[in-house]
Amino acid sequence: MPEISAGDTAWVLMSAALVMLMTPGLAFFYGGLVRRKNVLSTIMHSFFILGLVSVTWVLWGYTLAFGPDTGLGLIGGLDWLGLEGVTGEPSSVYATTVPHLAFMAFQMMFAIITPALITGAFAERKRFKAFVIFAVAWSTLVYAPIAHWVWSPDGWLFGLGVLDFAGGTVVHLSSGVAALIAALFIGRRSGLIAPATEPHDVPMTVLGAGLLWFGWFGFNAGSALGANGLAATAFVTTNTAAAMAAITWVTISWLHRGTPSVLGAAIGAVAGLVAITPAAGYVTPVASILIGFGVGVICYGAALLRLRARVDDALDVFSVHGVGGAFGALATGVFATVAVNAAGVDGLVAGNPSQVLIQALAVVAVGAYSAVATALILFLINLVVPIRVPGPAEETGLDLAQHGEIAYQP
Amino acid sequence: MVIAALVTFAILLVAWILAPGETAHPEAGPIAVELEPEPEAVPLAA
Repeated sequence: MPEISAGDTAWVLMSAALVMLMTPGLAFFYGGLVRRKNVLSTIMHSFFILGLVSVTWVLWGYTLAFGPDTGLGLIGGLDWLGLEGVTGEPSSVYATTVPHLAFMAFQMMFAIITPALITGAFAERKRFKAFVIFAVAWSTLVYAPIAHWVWSPDGWLFGLGVLDFAGGTVVHLSSGVAALIAALFIGRRSGLIAPATEPHDVPMTVLGAGLLWFGWFGFNAGSALGANGLAATAFVTTNTAAAMAAITWVTISWLHRGTPSVLGAAIGAVAGLVAITPAAGYVTPVASILIGFGVGVICYGAALLRLRARVDDALDVFSVHGVGGAFGALATGVFATVAVNAAGVDGLVAGNPSQVLIQALAVVAVGAYSAVATALILFLINLVVPIRVPGPAEETGLDLAQHGEIAYQP
Repeated sequence: MVIAALVTFAILLVAWILAPGETAHPEAGPIAVELEPEPEAVPLAA
């Protein structure tokens, strides 16, 4: 019987709380980016998911993602339905020095924020009722299987040796691709000449980015699942990549548009955090500088390309999380080294080029599954509840039309 | 117990599907209407 470590348990529970804070942080991040008539609806997307997925995760999400495999490495069984058998004793499989419930709670926070990330794509025109159904379906049919593929010891991608320390593919790539599909499905916002809009409250967005950065220490360093040297490594690489991406993004926007954008600093930091997520516990701090620089350049370019394509992914979820997640997954295959984490494998730089191919396979598999499954879910929901609000409601603003409230009194 | 918990969630799910959609708030008047055509195509963070 594994023994519980007080230090590990404290760190994992604290990390779960840190990751929980990321979802309200995301609400602020997205809320500041939309027009003032849609800020409450945008915040509500994240906040409602915090409640919704907390419940579904306890009922069936956790067992589908982490429960004993059904045989093909695709999804967990129902052994732990309603957390049956998940107790204060350690699991024999996951995080064996902390209570199984602590590991479950930590993973719950990942399951919460992932569908919340997608909401940036359909901001300002999504019907709330359809959003609720979508969130339940997506977290069950897309997130849970992908988490099982990558993080369950029985998962088929885990078996191939894919490295994803904290969710580059499971969280960011899956949600980023889903966001692109959602944006294409729901169509462009009305009243916009171009698929971009000025944010109504930049300080709110910067506050959100700060909360995300803070919470990300739980996301990545917490994924060490112990209070140890690996957690310290992940902490440092996380901060370094975020910092490098932020200053890179600002520099590019400075050269491109002539001014060092405050908003660019916030979004650049998030892009860096996304890219280091799969790599945090496998690479050196110096490698995280290269990853931060690379993702700053690539995601900035992706945001520009998205505009040219005139896809109204309202808050650039695909450009930051989809592209950043894919880049981070591939970069992990390049920079990983067993000198940092003996439980990992070497990457390209350390003489193992095949790891890049394994990472690429994971990117393709996760991206393709998320795209197809998301499209199917949206199509089926749209048959029952129209995904998009009517034109007059969109013109009025979703805060009033969908929630009967306004954010700011005149 | 698990079945009972699943049933309570199913009740909520049905309620969400049956709940009203858009609300009409004509009294809100011009507060709610804000037309902001975007004059220039620039990335959000550029």
